[in-house]
Amino acid sequence: MAGSNPQRERILARVRAATADNVPTTAPAASKAPIFAEIPDPLERFLRECAANLTEVICTRDSMESAAACDRVLQSLPPGELFFQDTPVFRSWASHVDSARTVRWSSGGPPSESTQATFTLAHGFVAQTGSILSSSLCGGRGASIVAPCHVVFGTTEQVVADIDAALQIANHDLLSASYVGLISGSSRTADIEKILVQGAHGPLRVVVILQAAS
Amino acid sequence: MSTIPLQEFLRRATEKCADLTHRATIQRNIDSYDVAVAKGKQRFSDWEAARSRCSEIKAEAIAHLDRYLEQFEGKVKERGGHVFWAETAEDARQYIAGLAQSRGVKTIVKSKSMVTEEIHLSGALEKQGAAVWETDLGEYIVQLRNEPPYHIVTPAMHLTRVQIAQTFREKIPSEMNGEEPPQLVAAARRKLRKAFFSAEMGISGANFLVADAGMVAISTNEGNGRLTTTLPRIHVAITGIEKIIPRLSDLATLWPVLATAGTGQPITTYSTLIGGPRQPGETDGPEEFHVVLLDNGRSQVLASREHREMLKCIRCGACLNVCPVYRQIGGHAYGTTYQGPIGSVLTPNLKPSAGFEHLAFASSLCSACGSACPVRINLPHQLLLNRRDAMAKTGQSGSRTMFRLFRWTAMSSVRFRVMGWLSRKGISTAKALGIAGSKLDPMRPWTQYRNGPEVPTQTFREWWRTHGRQ
Amino acid sequence: MPKTVSLFVPCFVDQLQPQVAIDTVKVLRRIGYTVHFPEDQTCCGQPAFNSGFWDEARPCAERFLKIFGASDVIVCPSGSCTSMVKSHYPELLKDTPSYNDAVTLGQRVYELSQFLIRVAQISDVGSWFPHSVTYHASCHATRELGIHDEPLTLLKNVRGLELRSLPHEEDCCGFGGTFSTKFGMISAAMGDTKAGNIEATKAEYVTSIDPSCLIHLAGIIGHTRRSSKPIHLASILAQEAQ
Repeated sequence: MAGSNPQRERILARVRAATADNVPTTAPAASKAPIFAEIPDPLERFLRECAANLTEVICTRDSMESAAACDRVLQSLPPGELFFQDTPVFRSWASHVDSARTVRWSSGGPPSESTQATFTLAHGFVAQTGSILSSSLCGGRGASIVAPCHVVFGTTEQVVADIDAALQIANHDLLSASYVGLISGSSRTADIEKILVQGAHGPLRVVVILQAAS
Repeated sequence: MSTIPLQEFLRRATEKCADLTHRATIQRNIDSYDVAVAKGKQRFSDWEAARSRCSEIKAEAIAHLDRYLEQFEGKVKERGGHVFWAETAEDARQYIAGLAQSRGVKTIVKSKSMVTEEIHLSGALEKQGAAVWETDLGEYIVQLRNEPPYHIVTPAMHLTRVQIAQTFREKIPSEMNGEEPPQLVAAARRKLRKAFFSAEMGISGANFLVADAGMVAISTNEGNGRLTTTLPRIHVAITGIEKIIPRLSDLATLWPVLATAGTGQPITTYSTLIGGPRQPGETDGPEEFHVVLLDNGRSQVLASREHREMLKCIRCGACLNVCPVYRQIGGHAYGTTYQGPIGSVLTPNLKPSAGFEHLAFASSLCSACGSACPVRINLPHQLLLNRRDAMAKTGQSGSRTMFRLFRWTAMSSVRFRVMGWLSRKGISTAKALGIAGSKLDPMRPWTQYRNGPEVPTQTFREWWRTHGRQ
Repeated sequence: MPKTVSLFVPCFVDQLQPQVAIDTVKVLRRIGYTVHFPEDQTCCGQPAFNSGFWDEARPCAERFLKIFGASDVIVCPSGSCTSMVKSHYPELLKDTPSYNDAVTLGQRVYELSQFLIRVAQISDVGSWFPHSVTYHASCHATRELGIHDEPLTLLKNVRGLELRSLPHEEDCCGFGGTFSTKFGMISAAMGDTKAGNIEATKAEYVTSIDPSCLIHLAGIIGHTRRSSKPIHLASILAQEAQ
């Protein structure tokens, strides 16, 4: 099935014939004009964008406060299974989890259909759009999408100014991953009368625990 | 030229133009789009520069399409993905249907893809016994109603919550828990969640194919694109060959521009890149990843210098929203996969013998589409070119005779005065006889819907004879 | 700065709306210009061009270039017809000996309000029109010629005039040349939407710099028994205090 594909050569031949007349297309003037205003204070902008796109951000000063923030989030969750990216920080936080809950670790497989919340790290945070830079290396592909709540832990050092900077991280570190993505708020739809409804297929709630740089 | 698409178009357009409820629904929808987009554009320090850059990126990609496609293919293969090149809709359908059959696929989830509409994929898959679930809410709603998408971005734009609740009551009564939008969304979520977790195959489109990274970019707000490409064993992404872009860094411009033009958002909630099946050491993801690159007429469009620019289209839907014709007749009247100005421009070129030449004429050439296009496709100019091509192709002997007469008249000021006098006499006579607007009125195409103009007693040039000197 | 202008009168204005051209002459004369009207002019060819009959439109364009070839400044009381000459002649005459003439002549053609503000640099032509007026921004003037503030500036300087903003002012009125008869139901529905927006302003008059939009709107407003009166910008500017 995936073997010979004679159409490939025919399509490419047609494309080559069609573009044989190609003329240089870049007009440098427009390419260099700035498109977005500079972002003088990325952290402030990140917090503002998250407020607008409905990402909850909890700013903490140190690891103790972060663990406490995690506890508060855990307590706010409905009963049920939890999923953690298998990293030391979550191993330590998960020790506080109520023993009635089932805990899954990314090392043991993906979250299940009934997982209530997932806890992962991120590769970066984008000030311009209030986005989380995630990938399949952050606990897998399902970890950021299948549960009603997604909790992300990171530090202010990971905040980058814009999408361009986030894509540079992806270009350097993440090209071996099968999935890379920017997550900008909770899952939503406006397909009915353009009325915004949160929690379409993905998480209704996205929480970032953002710890100050040490 | 087949006249059936034209007759169908006229019938549906006439029906919609008289439907004031429809007009109000669309107007409400587009009014909120207008507000969001105006706000969204303010996030750019220079929206016009952003449009220019997007136009350049896409033009560059198209000028070197072969090179970028091969680069993309190579990278996808490195990660263990398969790339299939399909010349026609039939080739693409066969490949995907064959894949589903050989892998014993029974349930398929789809995230939004206009290319799958273009090739009528769902029907082919259902014919061999698979259950196909549209998972974008708007697509799911129109699927339940057995309708094609009404709009390339907002498939259920024409429906009110009351109509949608009615559909859900009929089709998925057990999930219903109320009739307000949040409850309707929840009902669809519950129903589709079962499909997501049982499907063996996920089919997505692609907003962009990133050549240097070898990744498929998919934007969704609902997260259905993420689930479709994550949970099933097999992921098939299908899109047109023109969706290629050279560099990952191009998305720093294209993602915000697509979101802004499409819905007014700063960026789509899930801006996703998929580069392959589950990689060694990864927790989850499909075992198989297939990309289907569809030509289906695109390389023919590419061969025309004049028409090539339409391949820059990123399917944001902006030209539909701003189009006053679309706002009156809606998406279904066109009878095409792609509606609105871009559809009127693309369809006769992608499907030259399907009889859609009339669409270029169903426009007041108001240029709103051209001003809105985020990749600067000169849509009104493309409509003019399509009109010229259509007249050259079909002959249209009636119109040709009329415009030969027009030319003969315009080439002499004497003939022009005589013909002008005759026309004015015609209008005033119809009025005097009381037949204006009736079937006997030669001006009926005008007077059927409007009053005829008041006929002045003298023309300007007659006035000039007496007043020309100061 | 030449104080003579050549008047380009759209064919249907000559035949059906002569007052628009007469008022244009009055305004231009009032601000000190000598108006020249080449009587051999007929039609710029737009109907044929827009209908796909470029071979029929081309001789009209070539004829226009000859008739107006010697004019330094050409003024036209229509955005659409101005745009045909300025924006579309170069395309139509591409690869013909007339191409360069089309480009240079295009630079000398102005829509009336554009001429008054940009060339004559007059924003107050001394008019008096004690009525409420709303302004319809016509398509080709707005999006092909980039005209927006010019007519509004002129209207704001008319004594006694109360300018009311029109919701969706830049939306098409639905005329669109042969579109209005080939797809009459769509054209009329667009016109009806426009007329509804005009009615909502409760303005006595609706004005525009495109006479074709005004003919269409007059037909729609009359047919749907609404009350606003369409009037060309030139006809407002031509009014003087008694």
